[in-house]
Amino acid sequence: MSSEVLRWPQQLSLSQRRNLGFAALVFVELLLLIYIGTRLVGVELVEVTDLTQVSGNVETVFMRREVVGDPPLLMLLVLGMFVPLASRRLRREPVLLVALQVAIIGLIVFVIWPLAQVFIEGFRAGQNVTGFSLVQFETLFAMPMVANATRNTMIIGVTTAVLATLIGTLIAYTLTLTDVPGKRWLRILTIIPLVSPPFAVSFAFILLFGRRGVITYDLLHITQYDIYGPHGIVLVQLISDIPLVILILSAVFASISRDLEEAAEDLGGRPLFILRTVTFPLVMPAILTAILLTFISSISDFGNPMLIGGGFQVLATQAFIQLIELFDLQLGAALSMILIIPALAAFLVQHLIVSRRSYVTVTSGARTGHVRRLPGWITWPLFGLTIFLAAFNLLLYSSIFVGALVRTWGFDFTPTLENLNGLINAMPMLRNSLIVSVGAGLLGGITGLLVAWLVTRQNYPGRGALDFTATIMYAIPGTVVGIGYIIAFNASPYFWTGTFFIIIVAYAYRRLPVGLRTGVAANKQLDPTLEEASLDLGASRARTFAQITFPLLNRAFFAGVIYIFIRSMTDLSSAVFLNSGRTQLFTVRMFRVMTTGTPSEAAAFAALLIVIILLALGILSKVSGKSFVDLFRVS
Amino acid sequence: MSELFTTASITLENLSKYFGSIKAVDDVNIQVEAGTLVCLLGPSGCGKTTTLRMIAGFEEPNQGKVFIGAEDVTNMPPYIRPTALVFQSYALFPHMSIYNNIAYGLRARRTAKDEIQQRVVEVVRIMELEGQEKKTPPQLSGGQQQRVALARALVIRPKVLLFDEPLSNLDAQLRVRMRTEIRDLQKQLGITSVYVTHDQEEAFSIADQVAIMNQGRLIQLGTPRELYRRPADSFVAQFVGLSNIVSVELVTADADGATIRVFGQTIRSRRPPRQSGQPVSAVLRPEALKLSSPNEAGVLVRVIDQSYIGPMIRYRVMTPDQTQVTVDVHNPSPEEFFDPGTAVSLHLPQEIPALLG
Repeated sequence: MSSEVLRWPQQLSLSQRRNLGFAALVFVELLLLIYIGTRLVGVELVEVTDLTQVSGNVETVFMRREVVGDPPLLMLLVLGMFVPLASRRLRREPVLLVALQVAIIGLIVFVIWPLAQVFIEGFRAGQNVTGFSLVQFETLFAMPMVANATRNTMIIGVTTAVLATLIGTLIAYTLTLTDVPGKRWLRILTIIPLVSPPFAVSFAFILLFGRRGVITYDLLHITQYDIYGPHGIVLVQLISDIPLVILILSAVFASISRDLEEAAEDLGGRPLFILRTVTFPLVMPAILTAILLTFISSISDFGNPMLIGGGFQVLATQAFIQLIELFDLQLGAALSMILIIPALAAFLVQHLIVSRRSYVTVTSGARTGHVRRLPGWITWPLFGLTIFLAAFNLLLYSSIFVGALVRTWGFDFTPTLENLNGLINAMPMLRNSLIVSVGAGLLGGITGLLVAWLVTRQNYPGRGALDFTATIMYAIPGTVVGIGYIIAFNASPYFWTGTFFIIIVAYAYRRLPVGLRTGVAANKQLDPTLEEASLDLGASRARTFAQITFPLLNRAFFAGVIYIFIRSMTDLSSAVFLNSGRTQLFTVRMFRVMTTGTPSEAAAFAALLIVIILLALGILSKVSGKSFVDLFRVS
Repeated sequence: MSELFTTASITLENLSKYFGSIKAVDDVNIQVEAGTLVCLLGPSGCGKTTTLRMIAGFEEPNQGKVFIGAEDVTNMPPYIRPTALVFQSYALFPHMSIYNNIAYGLRARRTAKDEIQQRVVEVVRIMELEGQEKKTPPQLSGGQQQRVALARALVIRPKVLLFDEPLSNLDAQLRVRMRTEIRDLQKQLGITSVYVTHDQEEAFSIADQVAIMNQGRLIQLGTPRELYRRPADSFVAQFVGLSNIVSVELVTADADGATIRVFGQTIRSRRPPRQSGQPVSAVLRPEALKLSSPNEAGVLVRVIDQSYIGPMIRYRVMTPDQTQVTVDVHNPSPEEFFDPGTAVSLHLPQEIPALLG
């Protein structure tokens, strides 16, 4: 009998060994959970004054035990750890189980919880008061400024989205399906705004068209024209959002099966009839996607309205004023909620409806991407539009570099290097930005790859929910992410505000969709039979991932890291909420210089940042062997 | 329905197409008689699809002309040409219902609504697609999608029907069924058709004439029987599935044929070699050869291996001059079973149809 009990593990059957391993795993996880629980939740003695029992001058004061810390998050963590155990399939594959638990817990802590906090805070009745209330919103909409800001945000968002999508679609068509000359350079120049922070576009506009702008003031001697205001915001947002549309639509135009258009032609369709009946309906889902994404991008924009709005208030700037300048956390949260609702609605429409109607991958193996023969009166205006945008971008970005190398832009154009002196003081901020961006790139890249593997390679219940949660941050304005993280991790037991850690996780999880998409694309190209072969030859799932899957996904991982790095280096809207004196970021400093310093000093900041990003892209291009334009394809 | 079709012959005159320095199609001349079906057959990259696309108008020839009937259509854009192409990928519009897919060509021609309705219904009936009109292409099976593609082409009543490997996305059984259907329909409608395929069996089973192409050139045009009986060269012979191509020694040649020596035996060819002074080879069709126990009359060979293929045994044997020869023995008698390694006699036919080269 005793010999039965004391058998060595080698003597156990496979299923017994598996059960033993599983039990050990659960045990270790329980210990871990208990440890985290003690850090997350505590019981404290709190001194309570009972005002109802005042007898004479003596107040009854007594001590009460209270739960402190963050019990709701602990509950979520417990759920995240144990819900996957319900699946029989997951119980049998410990590697998959642990990977899934890690992914779920990461998403709960760094995506769901901060976003939920914005909602919780927004619906609270007041400071230190519990219970659901709409008081915040009543207060908010009673303020004419807020009602105005909401309306302004929507008007700007819709205008930018429609115009950017229209122009971007036409340019994408020109660059993909017509045979105009110089497409290689035009492709680069039309998407060049992707390499700079969006508010650098505002800054360049001010350099050129501002009150002392080189074109408006020095060249044309116009004094009445004012670039500041809603039209200015729309113009700069167009410049920064059109590249996104071009990338989305180019990919779709290039993937339309040539057979479909030829079939239409063969059946008697003339070029314009085909455009109307075949080409356009096929790209319609992508056009809707582009409208929704540019809308989200526009309403999230903080830097441009701040710089070029000229007092024209939108929700993102209002939230900043309430939270950072007036320290009203709740009002800031409530404003964020107004911002989050249209963004989430747009995202849901895109995710649940538009993406389902995609026709792009219907015919596999069909020939794609060829030049269409179109009449000149169509081609030439399209070409003109493309050239115009390219030239305009070139002008904007050269003004930044020229501005950085003259004494005082607008007054004294003597070449000088003295603006670079200002950068020396900003070196600690640049270091901070690099630390944060590299950290976010690595964390986001690893997490993205992990989740990508979980959503493409495996099958288990709840896979769609995982994908959805990991993608949702795409729709969340940077301002809201910043505010959510502050609310969620500001107080006991975290005290993370002011640390590098909070910025790194905020960036990593905010850009997780990028890492995820890169990883998913790579995973889909990866032949699943390679993994099956490895498993079949006796390798465990862990070994298969480490020795087969990961090496093959290496490039995608690296691409994800660089994309997140670039996005983090250029971010402003989350940064203004999350950084502190000790962790001040380069973009925040740059933004301050743009509002308070001389134009040339600020131009030097922008120029340096652009050079760093171009370097990062150069490295990526070398490593991945892709051209500059292709680098952006996945993001 | 056939009376509604006005079909026309196709003439390709000195047709050439270059992609850069590559001659995709090199001086091809083909005449497709009205109402017949011609297969363009060849390995991938032989120029057969490019030739088809020039007939449809998707590629402009660098030289030569395309006639449909008496009309020179060389410079006519595809949407005006009276051709209809059935694509390898079917190219069904994924965003349209089956009905709208079929009606597409008529709408492009601004046909009256009533007529569109009536013609679509008719072709739906012919193609046995009733009940599918409201579905979308991905909801149909491969075979049904194929029918829709064909219906969509037929409804515009083209003078010429073109097929670009239309069956290559179907499984083997369906492929055989569909090709019979296509052939029946083509005969019933009497519509001139050009059919591109790389499958020799498919080509031979449906074509009136087969054009064998290689490296952009037309090698041989003829009926399946002609190609099989008298292949122009060893490429054709190999491509139509003839395995035993052996070099022979020419003894005498005259207008009535030739006397040749092969494996030490003297036999006749019913036709003289096409060119004199060239090395000559001949096709020994596996089913025309016989094996027996070693005797004086045959060539002494050794059995390499044997395999059972349905009703016949296929032997591979090695001749004294180290040539491998395939012999198919149909309905073998007990004396015709030989183990690998045994020595047997190979009997050649007295006469072969033609020589290669």
